[in-house]
Parts: sequence; structure tokens; C-alpha cells
Amino acid sequence: MKPQEFKLTEDGIKAVLPPLEAEIMEHMWKIKVATAGQVYEVMKGKHPDIRRSTISILMNRLCERGLLERSVETGRGGMRYVYSVTSTREEFEEKIVQSILDALMSNFRDATYAYLSKIKK
Amino acid sequence: MEMLFLIFLEVLLAAITLTQLGIKVSLVAFGAVLVLYAWASTYDIKGRYLPLQRVEIPWLYDGIAEMTRKANIPMPRIYLLDDYIPTAYSFKNAVVLSLGLFEVLDQEEILAVAAHEIGHIKNGDTRTFPLLAYGRYLMLVFTIVLMVLARNTTLSVSALALVGLYEIAWARFHKEREFLADEAALRLLKTPMSLKHALEELKYYEDLRTGMRSNAVPSIEPTIERRQKQRPLIIETHPSYDERVLRIIIEINGNRMIKNHIQ
Repeated sequence: MKPQEFKLTEDGIKAVLPPLEAEIMEHMWKIKVATAGQVYEVMKGKHPDIRRSTISILMNRLCERGLLERSVETGRGGMRYVYSVTSTREEFEEKIVQSILDALMSNFRDATYAYLSKIKK
Repeated sequence: MEMLFLIFLEVLLAAITLTQLGIKVSLVAFGAVLVLYAWASTYDIKGRYLPLQRVEIPWLYDGIAEMTRKANIPMPRIYLLDDYIPTAYSFKNAVVLSLGLFEVLDQEEILAVAAHEIGHIKNGDTRTFPLLAYGRYLMLVFTIVLMVLARNTTLSVSALALVGLYEIAWARFHKEREFLADEAALRLLKTPMSLKHALEELKYYEDLRTGMRSNAVPSIEPTIERRQKQRPLIIETHPSYDERVLRIIIEINGNRMIKNHIQ
């Protein structure tokens, strides 16, 4: 996923993802694979009013962003969608930093070089 | 039926103005519709549809089996559709439920959605809907042929008016059948209220999805786009979730009142 915007006032991955999607991703990076129902049960603990529909929509948005992938699984509970992470949290962060730096280098090359060399020192 | 009468009027119009040619055109058009219907009847679904076996989801299979027994219709084929958007529909003697339904509804609510589709099968809608849809094409093609061959303003306006009336009648019929499928579902369900709950959750899903799309910053807007059903611009063929929920409440409360009165 290439971030389209970076919120300077937000912490962590909330700077590049909406808050609830960021929370879902934090959880998904821990467990790697889950159904929307399982994520709903966890999120319900933090947000008692949250509904299954919200989680389903957000997890599918995350699929569209390329952070999750969806597959059909046939198990004991019948057929269902299972979501899994497409990259580790570290890989995701690396991509974010890369794309932000690429954007800075193409728009403010000299200033970015100057600042990066200052940080090195 | 209103729509058959309108088709009859269109044929009459053709026969009066074009005499023998009008009758020939009518026969060819009816023949084409019948061929189209016969061809569509042989067509079976493929692709993202997964036929459901009892062993896969016993509660769903058994629930549908029980409702079809109550409805006195043969056990329908059940398909699961690989689509994350909650949706359901029926055709011939088959019920299709998307996997998305299983993410947003509980078991009772999914059975309620299936009951609505069984209601459509029980009421014969899966046979009549395609025929009436072909009727729309028939009216349209007929009107164009009439306008081209007759070159008469009064006739053209009359034919167009008949097409408009057919569209209105078709939409009204469609809407009424949705309500009737809900009524049938209420009689089949152990807990009729689950249909109301299912519709409320589906409405919430739709609203949330639409809201998200309209609120999203254009550059980060996701492309979770539902394949939009083809709907006419002015005439709505489906009742809104609110209209259906209201009718369900009235129906359930009405039944309760009758039961209390009898006791």
C-alpha cells in the first residue's frame, strides 16, 4: 500500500490509516489470520457499540488497500471468509517510509538531502 | 393482470395500424420472447457459486429444509456466492446467499433472509419475474417497430405511453411481490422478528458503506464498489428497507393481536 496522505498529528500507523482500520491492522499483525467474526469479538471489547457490519466493511477496505487478503475456507463452521496479512508490520512501515522519502526527494530534493545529512551527524 | 393487458393493447395498436404486418410483427416478437425464456431456463449458474452440501453448514441446510417443508415446495438448491457484500436472491428453485451475509448476520437472521427467498419461490416469482422482464423488452422493441413502420405521431405517442404504463405497473408489481415474500417468510420463521433484525443490519451496512464512500477523501477512496443493480432512473422496483421493516412490524403485531383476541 502506498499512503496517499500522512497525518502529522497522529501516532504510529494511524498517521496513514483511519483509526479503526489501524486498530484492526495492529490486531491482525499479532494473529496473522482471522475471520471478521473473530476480529469483531476483540474489537467489541474496546468499542462496545461496534457492529459486525463495520468490521466486515473495514476488513474489506483493508483488502482493497492490499494490507489484507481474503480467501474462502471450508472448516467446521462451514464456508467462510478468512483474512490474512499480506506483509509484516516491519515491511509495511518500510514501505511507508520509502514512499514518503521518495515523495520528499522528488519534490524537495536539496532540503531533504540537507536534513538527512544533518540527522546523520 | 395489468401488464398482460398493456401488452394486449400494444398488439391491438399494431394490428389496427399495420393490419396484417402488425399481426406478423406481434407473432415474431412473442416467438422471440418465448425462445429467450426457454434459453434462459436452460442456463445454469457458474463461476463464483458454490453448491452447498448439508455437511458443510448443517444448521443452514436443515433450517431451509424445514421452511420448504412448511411452504410445501421441493427442497431448493442452495448456493453460496463468493461475494463479501451481503446479498441474497433466488431463481428457478434455487436460493443464493453470499458469504458476506455470514459476516454481518447471525444464524437466525441468515435463515430469515433465506426465508424471504423461499417466499419468492413459493409465490412463483422466480418464474414470473423473468417473463415480465422480457415483457419490458417486448414492449420497447414493439414500440420502436411501430414508430418506424407506421410513421404516425398519435400512434407513436400512444405506444410510448403504453411503455411508460408498463414500466410503472412492472415496478409496482415487483415492489408488492417483495412485501409478499416478506409476509411468506414471517409465516415460515420460528422467530419472525429475525427478519426485521436482518433488514435493519443490512440497512446499516448499506448506509455505512455509502457513507464511507461519500466521506472518503477522493485520493484514498477505496474501490469497494458493489455491482449496482440496473435500476430505472425514476421508478423504484424495490421497496426500501424502512418500508419493509414497517410492514413486518405491522404484520407481526397484527398477528399477535388476532392471536390474543382468539384466546
